[in-house]
Amino acid sequence: MNVVLEGSGLVKRFGPAVALAGVGLAVGGEAVAIMGPSGSGKSTLLHCLAGIMKPDGGEVRLLGQRVDTMRERERSALRRTRFGFVFQFGQLLPELPAEENVALPLMLGGVRRGEAVRRAREWFGPLGLGGMEGRRPGELSGGQAQRVAIARALVTRPAVVFADEPTGALDQATGHDTMRLLVEATRGNDASLVVVTHDPQVARWCDRTVEVRDGRVLAGGPARDGRDRDGRDRGGPHAGPGAPGPYAGHAQGEPVTQVLPGADR
Amino acid sequence: MSGTLALSWRLLRGGGRRGLLGAGLTAVAVAVSTMLLLFAVSANAAFQGRADREAWRNPVAAGEGTAAAAVQAVRRDYVRDRYVTVVDVAVLKPGTAPPPGLDRLPEPGEVWFSPALAELARGLPAGELADRFPERIAGTVGDEALVHPGELVAVRGQAPDSPVMTAVAAADPRTGTAPKRVAGFTGSPTPDAQAYQALALIATVLMVVPLLVFGGAAARLTVARRDQRLAALRLVGATPGQVVAMTAAEAMITAAGGALAGAVLYGLLIPVLTRIEIAGGPWFASDLWPGVPYTSAVLAAVPLLVGLSAVVGLRRIVVSPLGVARRETPPAMRFVRVLALLAALAAVPALGAGAAAGVVAVVLGLVFLAINLAGPWVVGMIGRITARTARGPAGLLAGRRLTDDPRAAWRTVSGVAMTGFVAGFIGFLSPASGLLGDADAATLRLSVPAAQASRLTAEARERLSAADVAARVEVTGEGGRRILAVAVGKAAGDGGKAAREDDGTSGGPARAGGGAGPARADAAAVDRARTALDGLVPGRGATTAADEDLPGVLLLADIGTGTVVVLTVSFLVAVVSAGITAASSVLDRRQTYALLRLAGTPLKVLDRARRAETLIPLAVMGGGSIAVGVFCALPFSVSAVNAGGMAVLLVCVALGFAGVAGAGAASAPLLRSVTADPAPRPD
Repeated sequence: MNVVLEGSGLVKRFGPAVALAGVGLAVGGEAVAIMGPSGSGKSTLLHCLAGIMKPDGGEVRLLGQRVDTMRERERSALRRTRFGFVFQFGQLLPELPAEENVALPLMLGGVRRGEAVRRAREWFGPLGLGGMEGRRPGELSGGQAQRVAIARALVTRPAVVFADEPTGALDQATGHDTMRLLVEATRGNDASLVVVTHDPQVARWCDRTVEVRDGRVLAGGPARDGRDRDGRDRGGPHAGPGAPGPYAGHAQGEPVTQVLPGADR
Repeated sequence: MSGTLALSWRLLRGGGRRGLLGAGLTAVAVAVSTMLLLFAVSANAAFQGRADREAWRNPVAAGEGTAAAAVQAVRRDYVRDRYVTVVDVAVLKPGTAPPPGLDRLPEPGEVWFSPALAELARGLPAGELADRFPERIAGTVGDEALVHPGELVAVRGQAPDSPVMTAVAAADPRTGTAPKRVAGFTGSPTPDAQAYQALALIATVLMVVPLLVFGGAAARLTVARRDQRLAALRLVGATPGQVVAMTAAEAMITAAGGALAGAVLYGLLIPVLTRIEIAGGPWFASDLWPGVPYTSAVLAAVPLLVGLSAVVGLRRIVVSPLGVARRETPPAMRFVRVLALLAALAAVPALGAGAAAGVVAVVLGLVFLAINLAGPWVVGMIGRITARTARGPAGLLAGRRLTDDPRAAWRTVSGVAMTGFVAGFIGFLSPASGLLGDADAATLRLSVPAAQASRLTAEARERLSAADVAARVEVTGEGGRRILAVAVGKAAGDGGKAAREDDGTSGGPARAGGGAGPARADAAAVDRARTALDGLVPGRGATTAADEDLPGVLLLADIGTGTVVVLTVSFLVAVVSAGITAASSVLDRRQTYALLRLAGTPLKVLDRARRAETLIPLAVMGGGSIAVGVFCALPFSVSAVNAGGMAVLLVCVALGFAGVAGAGAASAPLLRSVTADPAPRPD
């Protein structure tokens, strides 16, 4: 595996509470789920890896370059250009239409507005959002809003996409669709995916699971079975030996990677 | 109801640090509003008080068949460049109530000085002032008879048949009232006092409307922050009545605290405010204290208005529990708002210099409110244009936000827009001050009966000589009325044209000072001459052209002072309102800002968007309001455009922009703080 992002010996304290007590994690072109109960330190790990927080100890590298020693301005630029983010809710600007929400990161990067909106629009069809370009977040369902957020996370063609409980506010069926699109779209764009979740059903969409408890990594879970490495999805996660996953019936046929804008670049 | 109140109180207290910060902002806004509102109310009461205290000096003749109690004559004398009001009183009916400020009826040969006059008379050489009042000083005129603490007033007792009490009317009614037989010392407000009251009323309207708008904005501010929580309450089944009651209660608790603080602040400010000089003097502290009834009324009205405004702001949530939880494209502002403004403006040309102050105040108030109605519509329009033409993310964000919530953007700039209106109105209206102020201050003139001209001229020379005043005395004019002209200082330093008092006499063709330009007077010599000439013609004092211009000069100074006061108040409102709305907008959107920052958006872009969001509508609305203000001033404009007024206007605009930009910048640290830690959960 070519390591894209690596954190090693990460320590983070909040006053007397130790959120991370020497955690290491390497990600390379794959989808990794960070799991754990509330308060286990999984979000803190994501924030340290994404350069949102500075760890108190240890180091973070993106393609070999130290992230944790960068100044805030540099980390901010890094987050804008090399990372994409998908959160549980509240991430879309309510006053911008969907297409401008997606175009915003490109415009922040200096792309002219017309070009940015054109490139943003390319994502709507493949993500099942055709015709919703002009809608505002308040006029989208929860699942549609998450798909807009996925488009926004990927539009700059980042190296790593971070998702924090991306299906937390969605029902199971919608969550299933969202995860499928998230995993396949990131893979189709040659991006790595780091998902924080406490939901095993969500974790099963990923290639690998990392269990965090009390600030430590307990175990690296198995890579997702029954799935080939070039991203060919066979219809859903494998919930366990012999047992069809709860999402299985909702998977939709055509592999998204073939039509996503990032895939043909 | 008490349960609702208790829950509101708990929610208010439990709002956390930022919740409390929001409530604090509302309280500050309300405190500033209350303070300024009390000032505006007091200003009217203060002018009313002055008018009442001055009324006794504007005697009203006793009606036919009514027995007169006294004879009263009022004359305006001058010392240096100040008025001395001399009231002569002859009592006809013993047992009449004494004039205000006097402990008893004055007897002939007695004089009462106001405290300031007594002090001045002691301070100046007797020949310049005190000698004009040879009577025995019987006491001090009390404050209740004085317009302001520094006023120079003398009340003299006279015999009913003394020359002063039987003199004919003064040549110029502005300088005094001829002796009148009065039934009592009540009088009626002078025309000047009434004019000041009318101006105060207009100034009040100019100050109060922005204050009310600001107060309303402060209330909405509370609501904006509570939207989400109240929508959640509604979702769990709170009835519309409960939600409304809770919001109103919460807003009113905050507002009551703010109002109380505002009243205390105002009380502390009174000593400073009393120093503002209007109509020639400062104020009594009691003038500016509005009294218990007014204060209580303001303290009760402010929280009620804030509560009402909060309830109005809640309408959407109450109608639909999802109204706030889901953000949808808001309906566009209706054009009828602009029609309202046009309708109000259509009424303006009907006004004119002759219109009653009440009508002017009402129309100005209507235009004000109409600007406030049309404002959001225009802001929405500006937003659409900005969004359509934006190239960068900051412009796009600003434009979309303006379109999304034009009311909120308007709240930020409404203060300055309103000030722009005030500045446009007053700035255009103020008469040019260069018209006055160059009058001759060295030539005293006294109208004399033609028959006695020679005798009085001779006596004047004697008196001036005795007082050791160098002056040229001559008589001008024709017919029954002659003017005795006394050119003070002419003998001393005017070369060949000068004439000594004993040889520059009959028929000298050159008038005093003629050809030498306005004479510069030695003020002390002029006052010595005035004192020497006092009583030469009973009931009349000698005046210079500068004295006669003094009312105009004072009025201009007062208009200037009034403009500065009104604009200062409007500016305070504008800047505080801009600062508070900017801060609350950061608080309201902290989650979005934090997430944007987290995704790598530079603070600079967020800040630039915020700035554009304020400055673009500010430029358009500020300019528009100034134009509307100028338009409203057109019917009253009598002279050419006043360059000084225009300068005031430009300075105001510049200050307004700077103030709002500064107030917006003041919330930048808040923005930094809410986005500094985008991931506060240790989870």
